[in-house]
Amino acid sequence: MFKFLLRRFATMVVMALCLTYAVFYFTNLPPNLEKIAKSEAGSRITDAEVDSWLAKNGYASSTPQRYGEWLGVVPGWRNTTPDGKVTGRCIARGTDPAVAPRFCGVAQGNMGFSNVFKQPVSSIIGLRLGLTGWLMLCVVCVMVPVSLLIGILAGMREGNRLDRSLSAVSIATTATPEYVSGVILITLFASSVTGLKWFKGTATSAMDNITFENFTLPVMTISLYAIGYIARMTRASMAEVMTAQYIRTARLKGVRFRDVVLKHALRNALIAPFTVIMLQIPWLLNGVVIVETLFNYKGFGWTLVEAAGNNDVELLLGCSVVAVIVVLVTQLLSDLGYALLNPRIRLA
Amino acid sequence: MSLSPNNGTGVHAAIGMYAAECKAGLMSRREFMTRASALGASAAVAYGALGLAAPQAVAAETPVMGGTLRMNMETRPGKDPRTWDWSELANFSRGWLEYMVEYNSDGSLVGRLIESWSLNEAATEITMNVRKGVTWNNGDAFTADDVVHNITRWCDANVEGNSMAARMGGLVDAETKQAKAGAITKIDDHTVKLTLPAPDITIIVGMADYPAAVVHQSYDNGDTALNPIGTGPYLPEVDEVGVKQVLVKNTAHKWWGEGAYLDRIEYIDLGTDPAAVVAAAESDEIDATYRTEGDFVPIFQSIGWASSEAVTSATLAVRFHHAAAPFDNVKVRRAMQMAVDNNVVLELGYGGMGQVAENHHVCPIHPEYAKLPPLVVDPAGAKAAVAEAGHADTEFELISLDDGWQAATCDAVAAQIRDAGINIKRTILPGSTFWNDWLKYPFSATEWNMRPLGVQVLALAYKSGVAWNETAFNNAEFDEKLTAAMAIADADKRRVLMERIEQIMQEEGVLIQPYWRSLFRFTNPKVRGAEMHPTFEHHHYKWWMAA
Repeated sequence: MFKFLLRRFATMVVMALCLTYAVFYFTNLPPNLEKIAKSEAGSRITDAEVDSWLAKNGYASSTPQRYGEWLGVVPGWRNTTPDGKVTGRCIARGTDPAVAPRFCGVAQGNMGFSNVFKQPVSSIIGLRLGLTGWLMLCVVCVMVPVSLLIGILAGMREGNRLDRSLSAVSIATTATPEYVSGVILITLFASSVTGLKWFKGTATSAMDNITFENFTLPVMTISLYAIGYIARMTRASMAEVMTAQYIRTARLKGVRFRDVVLKHALRNALIAPFTVIMLQIPWLLNGVVIVETLFNYKGFGWTLVEAAGNNDVELLLGCSVVAVIVVLVTQLLSDLGYALLNPRIRLA
Repeated sequence: MSLSPNNGTGVHAAIGMYAAECKAGLMSRREFMTRASALGASAAVAYGALGLAAPQAVAAETPVMGGTLRMNMETRPGKDPRTWDWSELANFSRGWLEYMVEYNSDGSLVGRLIESWSLNEAATEITMNVRKGVTWNNGDAFTADDVVHNITRWCDANVEGNSMAARMGGLVDAETKQAKAGAITKIDDHTVKLTLPAPDITIIVGMADYPAAVVHQSYDNGDTALNPIGTGPYLPEVDEVGVKQVLVKNTAHKWWGEGAYLDRIEYIDLGTDPAAVVAAAESDEIDATYRTEGDFVPIFQSIGWASSEAVTSATLAVRFHHAAAPFDNVKVRRAMQMAVDNNVVLELGYGGMGQVAENHHVCPIHPEYAKLPPLVVDPAGAKAAVAEAGHADTEFELISLDDGWQAATCDAVAAQIRDAGINIKRTILPGSTFWNDWLKYPFSATEWNMRPLGVQVLALAYKSGVAWNETAFNNAEFDEKLTAAMAIADADKRRVLMERIEQIMQEEGVLIQPYWRSLFRFTNPKVRGAEMHPTFEHHHYKWWMAA
C-alpha cells in the first residue's frame, strides 16, 4: 500500500514536470514574449524597445535556464541598470539586493508573480480555486445522488416505461450544451421574459456570499449536463448486473425485488459510475469555464482563460500544476475506492 | 494686472461675435458653448452672451447623501495616466485624481482645479487661475507648483506612449522632447502662464481629456491605485483586475467641491458579453450600464430602465495601414472606399443609431465642419480600380475585435467589398489577441472617442509621426494645413482650411469612417446624475441615488 502511494506520488511529480515544461516552452516562444513586453511596456513600442525590455526583465536567457529559475534550481536573473541599481527575479521592489535570496522558485515555495493581475500566483490560485471549489462541491452534491438514483431506477428493469422516460430525459440533458441550457434557464427563471425571476441570472454576488438565489442556476446548468451522462453510465452498468446469474438465483430463491436491487445489485453496479464520477471532477475544474463566464463567476476556469489569453506564463504554470494534482489525486481516490467496492481488485 | 484683451468686461471679444452667429442660426448652441468656453468664459457668461439664463441644475429634486451605485465596467490594471489608452482606466482613478478642466455633455468646458483661464487676443498666451482652497488628500495644498509640475510631465515626449505630449503641442520642444524652457511660468502661487510659439486653441480642451489626470508631485509613474494621493473625494478600496474596483468616500479628506453624494461606487467587470450585463441588471446586481449598444437598447427599454443618450462624434475608424502592402497604394484605398456605402454600414452595423459620416473624421457637430460633396458609391468602379492596381486576385483581410457592434460594422464593410467582386476575408479576434498587434494590421477597425474640436482628432491620429497615428498617414500638405488651422480661434476662418483638409483625407483614402455614434447608458430608475457622457467620463461627484 505504501509502495503504491509512493509510486503514484512519483508519477505525479514526473507528470507535473513534463507538463509544466511543455507549457513553459510554448509560452516562451519569441512571439509570446513580445506579447508580454507589449502588454507591460505599452502596445505602441518599437521592436528595439521590445528587445531591450525583454533583456532588462530577465527574458533574454535560454528557455531551460529560465525554467530552472522558475523551479528554483537555478539562481534567479539579476540585472544592473546604468545608474547602478540592481534588479532581479528574487529582489522584491524596495528591498536591498544584498540580502535578497539567490533562488526563488517553486522549490522555495514561490509560485511566481502574475503579469496580468499584478499579484502572487499562489494567492490568485488559492482564491479562484476556492471559488470553483464551492461551485464543484454544490454540483457534486446535486449531481451524484440525482444521477445515481435516475440510473438505478432506469437500469433495474431495462426497457420498461420508467426506463424509457428517464433515459429520454438523461439523453436530452446531456445532449444540450451548457451555453444553451444556461441561457434557457436564465430566460425561464431569471428574466422579465417569463416574469418568474425566482433566481438571479448572474452569480457575481456569489463570489462574496453564496445564496440559494444566486447559486442555483449555475449549479443546475452544470449538473444537468453531468447528471444525464452519469445516469446513462449507471443505467448501463445496472442493467448488465441485473442480467447476471446470481441475481437470477436470488430472485428464484424468492428474495424481494427491492432487496435484490439494494443488497445484491447495487454495489456491483456502482463500480463503473464511481470511476466516471471521479473523472468528472477534473473535468469540472476546467469544464466550468463556460458556466463561469456565462454567470460571471470568476473562478479557476476564468483565471485559466485570462492567463492563456494574456500569455501570463507563471500563472499558466501554476494552473497546470493544480490541474495535474487534481487529476492524479482523484484517480488515486478512484483506485482506492475501486478496491473497496470490488474485493477482487488489490492495490499492488 | 490684466492679461485679457476684453475691454475690462472680463469676456473675450470673440465671444460676443460667436453669440451673434449663434443667434443668427449660423452656429448651434452646442458649438457656441464649446468655443466660448475654450476662450475662458464660464458657463454662466457663455449662456449670458446668448441672452439666455444658464440652465439650473435639476432643481426639482434635492440630492440624497449616501448609498452605493454599482456599474458594469471593464476593470484594467492601472498605469501612468499619461499613457492611458482606455477611458475605463481614467474612470476608476477619477475617484481621487481630478482634472484641470472638465468637458460637459452640453459642449461647455468648466474649470475644476483651474478656476478660470483667459487667452490674449492672438491666442498665444494662456493665463490660468488656480483654484484656491484645494488640498491633496495627504494634507498638502494644491498650488501653481502642482499645475506647473503636471503640465511639465505631460510635455515629456520621451515617455513611451505618452499621448498628452501631442495634446500639449507647441509647449513641447521638438529637439529635447521635453517642455520648452520658459513656456510654462508660475506668476504667483495661484497663477500660471503658458506661452505658445504659435496660437493653439486646443491646449485647454486637451486638458479635459482622460489622460490628463492631475497627479501629486510624489507620484512615481506606477499604478495610480497603489498610493492614491489625489485631490478628489473618493479613495480606491478594492482593485481586482478583471473582477471588481470599488471607490469609497474619503471621509478623512475635506474635498473642495460640491456634491460627492454617494458613499460607495462599485465597478463590476462582467466581461465583453452584453447578455451578461442584461442578466446582471435583471438580477439587481448592477444599477447602471457603462454603455449599451445596438440590439440591447430595446432590451433595456423593455425591462423598464431609464435611458440617457449622448450625441457624439465618437466613431469606428475602419482604417488602412498606409505603410503595409497592399494598402500602400492609394488606388486600392480609394477603391475600398468606393465599394462601401456608409448608409448601409450604419444601418447594419449600428442599427441606424447615429449619423452617416464621410470618411474624413470631422463631424457635423464640430464647430469647423465644412460640408463636402456627397461620397460616390461605385462598386463596379472599385473592382476596376483594384484590378488596375494589380490586385484583382489578391485576398484582402479585414480584422476586427469580437465586440458586437465593431464586428457587425466590419462585416457590413467587408460584405459590400465582397459584393463589388473583390476578394476579402474577415477575421475576428478576441481582445486579448487583437490589441497585441493592432498597430500592424494592414486593414482593421479602431474605436475613436469624440473630441470637442475637429482639429483635435486630426492632430492626434493623422498628423505625421504622432503617437496615436495608426494609419501611418504621412502628408506634408495635410500637416501644414492642420498646423495652420489649429492657430485659428475663429471657426469660420478655420473652416476655410478645414475644407481642404477634409478633401485631402478623402483624396488620400485614409480610412473608411462610416458613421458617428450615439451613446446610450441605461440606469435603474433610482439613479440620478449619471447620464451618459459623450466622452465616457464619469463625474462621480454628480451621481446620487434617489431613496
